[in-house]
Amino acid sequence: MYFPYFATYMAVGIALAIAAFVWALKNGQFTDQQRARFLPLEDDAGAGEVKRSRMGRLEILALGFLACAGLAASAAVLVFALVSF
Amino acid sequence: MTETETIKLSDYATAKGFCLTSAFWMMAATFMGLLGATELIAPAVTENIGGLVFGRVRPTHVNLVLFGFATPGLLAATFYFFPRVLQTRLYSEKLGVFTVIAWNIMLVCTVATLLSGNTQAREYAEMIWPVDILVVLAFALIVFNFFMTVQRRTEPLIYVSIWYACAAAVLTMLTYALGNVIWRPDGGALTGIPDAILLWFYGHNIFGLLLTPLSIGVAYYVVPKAIRAPLYSHTLSLLGFWALIVVYTHIGTHHLLQVPVPTWLKVVAIVDSIAMVIPVMAFLINIWYTARGKLGAIHADIGAKFVFTGTIMYFFVSIQGSMMALPQVQRVTHFNNWVVGHAHIGVLGFSGMIALGGLYYVLPRMTGKPLFSRFLADFQYWLILIGVVGFTVILTIAGLIQGNAWLNGETVYRVLPEIHLYYVIRAALGVLIFVSAVLGFYNIARTMFMPERGAG
Repeated sequence: MYFPYFATYMAVGIALAIAAFVWALKNGQFTDQQRARFLPLEDDAGAGEVKRSRMGRLEILALGFLACAGLAASAAVLVFALVSF
Repeated sequence: MTETETIKLSDYATAKGFCLTSAFWMMAATFMGLLGATELIAPAVTENIGGLVFGRVRPTHVNLVLFGFATPGLLAATFYFFPRVLQTRLYSEKLGVFTVIAWNIMLVCTVATLLSGNTQAREYAEMIWPVDILVVLAFALIVFNFFMTVQRRTEPLIYVSIWYACAAAVLTMLTYALGNVIWRPDGGALTGIPDAILLWFYGHNIFGLLLTPLSIGVAYYVVPKAIRAPLYSHTLSLLGFWALIVVYTHIGTHHLLQVPVPTWLKVVAIVDSIAMVIPVMAFLINIWYTARGKLGAIHADIGAKFVFTGTIMYFFVSIQGSMMALPQVQRVTHFNNWVVGHAHIGVLGFSGMIALGGLYYVLPRMTGKPLFSRFLADFQYWLILIGVVGFTVILTIAGLIQGNAWLNGETVYRVLPEIHLYYVIRAALGVLIFVSAVLGFYNIARTMFMPERGAG
């Protein structure tokens, strides 16, 4: 007997959705949609430029080498696979 | 002090916590994926290590990607924009930090239990009862924090991203509890077909009602911010939101079309799967029209670049998903690597890309410091892009070979050698994803902990 689980699931979901929709309707959430388009823009936190340092460059080079080694390993596996078959 | 200044002074501890959580666990999750892929081509590689057999590694990979990488990444961005869009402070940063700690305890328990063989053996719902309770409690705390913040907002209108975030938290809390049958602590399951149906209500909804709404919410915030232009249509975004809520909750049974479940349930699942075109296209048309003519600004911001790429992946995975729900298509694509490829486009290409985009967008803004290395972030972007596109191509080919062999009645042992090459390439692509995760963690950690400007 499994229908009660689905009925519960769907009923709870639909009830929550309807309750939220009615709440939104009564609270004017569907009015003034033009202003709503701009809501993310009302705060404008900027980010600074990337600062470069000698240490930073060396670290990036080392990590780049590490990543390239990973890529080379991938390529090696790929070539091995292609040659083997 | 104005409300905006108050928000800027808050330290975003919760968002930072989820940020680090996501970056760290992405490494663990992708390593498990790589290990699993390696075991598929070299089964003996871990033969004497019981905790690392494929049957344990695979669920660990899946659950860590879902709860360790993608969800915390999306929550990091969400906890950043939530108070900003509502023009108030987060109800409780302490509660948020407590949630982050509980979340990480849950993840440690997940790894420990699954690798030690303690599992409920239900796909995507393997975690045992105590861990299930931790997940539900964590979501309950998030719901409480979200709702109290909404209640204390000074902006009367609720932006669509807030709708999506709240829906994701509430629906996942309910879906997880029901789908994991938490009222039966001993087994965490019903029996037989009824359990399969309930499991796939959960199995699909955990992606569709957690990752999808969180990702869409982040995209609706990041894209307009990055290009400094308003959303194309807030009305269309709300239409997409309500359409998603109506149709997504009932489509899980499309995983069981070849199983003796009630026909009416299959019909509901198929019809709603096709109807998903409505919320998907409402979102994509809206976000692409918002970015129309401003792709330069998208490209200039690494966060927006990740997010926008995620929206393109969403198009592909959604169209694919709707088609795969059709019984005739599924005869070929089900029970093989096609589905694995589909899952990787969705979780890594769509949600994972947007999670990383959200992280990279909010990180400099909430720390007040520039990103440690834009180069590393760009490198990570290309590694993931190549990896996920490669997964798609390779696994789709392997899936079609398997699907046709299945239909032709060929035996498994004759088919496996045919797809071995594709398994090898998949493991190679997995290396790219793992390397990208390590680079990403380093970049994010250095950004958060490096000294202020001028300290060199």
